[in-house]
Amino acid sequence: MKIPLSYNLRNLAVRRTTTIMTAFGIGLTVAVLAASMSLTAGLREAFRASGHPLQLILMREGSGAELSSQVSRESFNEVIRYRPGIAKLKSGEPAASLELVNTINLPSKESPDGMNLTNRGILPEGVAMREDFTMVRGRWFEFGKREVVVGSDVASRYPDAGLGRTIRFGRGEWLVVGVFDTPFPARKSEVIGDANQMLQDFQRGSLFSSVLVRAEDEVAMQALTNSLSAEQRLQLDVLTEREYYERQSSSGNLIQYVGTFVAIIMAVGSMFAAMNTMYAAVARRSKEIGTLRVLGFSRRSILTSFFIESMILAVLGGVAGLLLVLPLNGLTTGIGADATFAEIAFQLRVTPEVALTSMIFALIVGAAGGLLPAFGAARKQILTALRDM
Amino acid sequence: MRFLPLIFKNALRNRRRSFLTISSLALSICLLGVLTALYAALFHSSPPPGQELRLVTRHKVSITNVMPTWYKERIRAVPGVKEVIIWQWFGGWYKTEERDRQYFFPRMAAEADRLFAVYPEWEIPEDQKRAFQADQTGCIVGADLAKAQGFKIGDRINIRGSFFPVNLELTVRGIYHSPHESDSLWFQFKYLEQGFESLGWPNFAGTFTMLAESPEAIPGIIRAVDAMFANAEAPTKTETEYAFGLSFLAFLGNVKMILLSICGAVTFTILLVAANTMAMSVRERVREVGVLKTLGFTQEKILGILLGESMAISLIGAGIGLVMAQGLCVMLRQAPPIVQQTKTLTIEPAVLAILIGVSLLLGVASCIVPAWSAARTSILDALRFTD
Amino acid sequence: MSEATGAAAEVIIRTRKLTKEFARDSFRVVALKDVDLDVKRGEFIALMGPSGSGKSTLLHLAAAMDRPTGGTIEVLGQDIGAMGESAVARWRNRHIGFVFQSFNLIPVLTAFENVELPLKLTHLKKGERDQHARTALRLVGLDDRMHHYPKQLSGGQEQRVAIARAIVTDPDILLCDEPTGNLDAKSAQEVLTLLKRLNEEYGKTVLMVTHDPHAAHFARTIRYLDKGELLPEGQAPEDWRTPEPHA
Ligand SMILES: Nc1ncnc2c1ncn2[C@@H]1O[C@H](COP(=O)(O)OP(=O)(O)O)[C@@H](O)[C@H]1O
Ligand SMILES: [Mg+2]
Repeated sequence: MKIPLSYNLRNLAVRRTTTIMTAFGIGLTVAVLAASMSLTAGLREAFRASGHPLQLILMREGSGAELSSQVSRESFNEVIRYRPGIAKLKSGEPAASLELVNTINLPSKESPDGMNLTNRGILPEGVAMREDFTMVRGRWFEFGKREVVVGSDVASRYPDAGLGRTIRFGRGEWLVVGVFDTPFPARKSEVIGDANQMLQDFQRGSLFSSVLVRAEDEVAMQALTNSLSAEQRLQLDVLTEREYYERQSSSGNLIQYVGTFVAIIMAVGSMFAAMNTMYAAVARRSKEIGTLRVLGFSRRSILTSFFIESMILAVLGGVAGLLLVLPLNGLTTGIGADATFAEIAFQLRVTPEVALTSMIFALIVGAAGGLLPAFGAARKQILTALRDM
Repeated sequence: MRFLPLIFKNALRNRRRSFLTISSLALSICLLGVLTALYAALFHSSPPPGQELRLVTRHKVSITNVMPTWYKERIRAVPGVKEVIIWQWFGGWYKTEERDRQYFFPRMAAEADRLFAVYPEWEIPEDQKRAFQADQTGCIVGADLAKAQGFKIGDRINIRGSFFPVNLELTVRGIYHSPHESDSLWFQFKYLEQGFESLGWPNFAGTFTMLAESPEAIPGIIRAVDAMFANAEAPTKTETEYAFGLSFLAFLGNVKMILLSICGAVTFTILLVAANTMAMSVRERVREVGVLKTLGFTQEKILGILLGESMAISLIGAGIGLVMAQGLCVMLRQAPPIVQQTKTLTIEPAVLAILIGVSLLLGVASCIVPAWSAARTSILDALRFTD
Repeated sequence: MSEATGAAAEVIIRTRKLTKEFARDSFRVVALKDVDLDVKRGEFIALMGPSGSGKSTLLHLAAAMDRPTGGTIEVLGQDIGAMGESAVARWRNRHIGFVFQSFNLIPVLTAFENVELPLKLTHLKKGERDQHARTALRLVGLDDRMHHYPKQLSGGQEQRVAIARAIVTDPDILLCDEPTGNLDAKSAQEVLTLLKRLNEEYGKTVLMVTHDPHAAHFARTIRYLDKGELLPEGQAPEDWRTPEPHA
């Protein structure tokens, strides 16, 4: 025989204050976990979504990130550019872009002392390969001029980098002539200009940073990866664009570790609190338990009933926690990409996965907190229960 | 206070509940303690002796941008600067190219002739010092690093370049002890310069590390150096070595905000847990409040007794939690440091005082509502009260 | 203080047209109506009457635990209706001992600590408090149970501890609301003997509500309340079975 759920609900409603406080305690715990998870989820999504499925990034072996890689113009022209398997641009040129990557520092809204940003210099192929870009304001930069275009995240987060403003880096000032948008989140945090102009400013001679290559198809991509990795004249690391960005997201890991650690300690605390509440519920209803037993409810149904009640508390807590972090969904923030020290803007994502994990977490807290009191209730002798209180 | 025994007995009235509440509070306050200690260490600490006189100048943009080497002589001429050297982060890979913590340690190039003048607190035998300075491919390692990796004098260490495509073949010439940092490897900047030459790169410096003559000279040096290069090709940022270490944290995002919001959530959770317990515990006792009033206790006294009880519970929880927090701090010191500041993590007296204050405040806040309403209940209503 | 009862003993509780109404929603209950009562120092009065007749209400008013809605009540020459909340508390501590039907001991405190509790509101030093509490416990015959918790005592013992607690501040008046209501016959006898002794040997003025005719005969005077009205001395409600004095 089952004790109806409405019995639990009514009891929770009667002890409103306690119910709310306990659930909210669980909720805050869940919120910490969910917030740290949505941060990493957002970060991972930003990076994962940033790769073109057929594009490869070539860097000098061991350099790990574009910023620390060097590829010279000569080796690009001689060894990489005209490989078979590279897709053709509209112009007929191979879809291979030699790029220069630096970090620059601009004051942002969040850190007025300055945040690092990725600054990328590209050549005409580079512009052609960025079909995903749409100029939301202004226009592309002109080659031969000290002009840059900035990603929409840069424009919105860095007051100095708006359209028409000049920013200082390298050897002088650069005019922002356009704001672009792209579905690839990581690219939205870049400041892009003419690579040749930038080479001079950064005294790089003819040393670029990396090469972006688009393969004709999957098969060609595999072949290109193999042949470029094996290339003796140039020691290269060949990564798909996706792999590359995914690696960059590892700086979020620390935050996730810390978040999880904090959430687990808080969870034990909330579990004790839930236990307290449930023990109080059992004590208060001692007589009722006796009566229910006299009416013929079994120990098992008493156990189940109290256990369910603590699970309801947990569900309330989980929902409260998710409601607390939901406003964070879509919130844009920045994090330094691993190894480049440059900031990448991304949005926190309360994904279904985050929600599910948080809910399960809440239920575990509820179960752990409710089990002992429920056993205690079920173990009560009928007569002592009736006599109690 | 005459009512202390009553307060304590009341606090422990329901053993299980008190145990659960105190455990819950202890855990939360432990967490709060560690987070606050971390916050204090990162944002409110002062450099340890030996370090407070050291400054670092880097490119204004980031340490990955470089400056011309001739800056050094200009910096040396700034009043208050005692000594300055070029200091270059090398990075690279040792043994493996994976991001393997086991083989990760800081590797720096520095000008060997002046290195020890800038790091006067290091202890290293004179003969080792000279052997290092005499050998272009020599290196010295910190005592902790030597222990961790098993390096001995005369060992060969090969580092593959990453950021700089230069492979190093080093020989250990000395082992130094430093009071705050003994886990780095230092080799000669000249050796790196040779590598740059063979690559056809111009000479450049990643950072300049300098020693100030006195603490009073520091603000002046910072202003003078940065002003000197403000309009040069590479504008600079000068800060104390201690603060410089912290700038690496920035890549974790807004650490300050993250720490503060977690602290907020934890504090609020404590408040809820404590408030819940106190509400239950006061409710159970409304009748007794009636009895106390019959015996002549005033509202204020009763309020005091109930608040005292709640504060006692918070204090016990805080005491246990802070001891645990100190333990955790000691453990965190062993963890691989991101910044030097965490290596001496501890609950400072100021943090201790703040947290005890906070827990007392939480004790009052969690109890004030039920206690106030219980104390104000009329005698007869209180005596009639059934839960 | 512990003067014998003289013929010209002062009146220490004086009520005139004392009235207490309870208004709940639209309901109005008159619990006490125009009660005129004089209690002289050293008296032992049993208050009897059917349930709901206002006995407890009268005690509560006398202890200033509640305020009248009409008339006056003077205790020890003080108009207690006019006193402020904390003054009343101090006054109660000094002059009134209250004994409940359900003992109302503080469960976390030992017998000794329970008795000592009201003394903590006085200026007495620890040593003096100890001595007073011990004396009170000895008086109720429980000096060997001092360090027992209420749980470890029988009902009769609990009530005696409660009486010790009520008299420890040496109050003038002892108000007892059905003190034997929760006790077996033997314990009740002990408690009543004790109250009688307190009245006779220590000169305490006792006003005791009871349902039990046997208990009432420990008092010197029995007064009846009926539907909130105090019947004249010697008169019982009409349908009241006059209690037979026990042998
Ligand atoms: N707080 C209250 N609210 C409403 N009615 C009350 C209250 N207290 C007592 N009464 C009513 O006053 C009357 C007298 O009560 P009481 O003095 O307790 O009687 P008893 O003689 O049984 O001790 C009863 O009718 C009772 O219902
Ligand atoms: Mg009554």
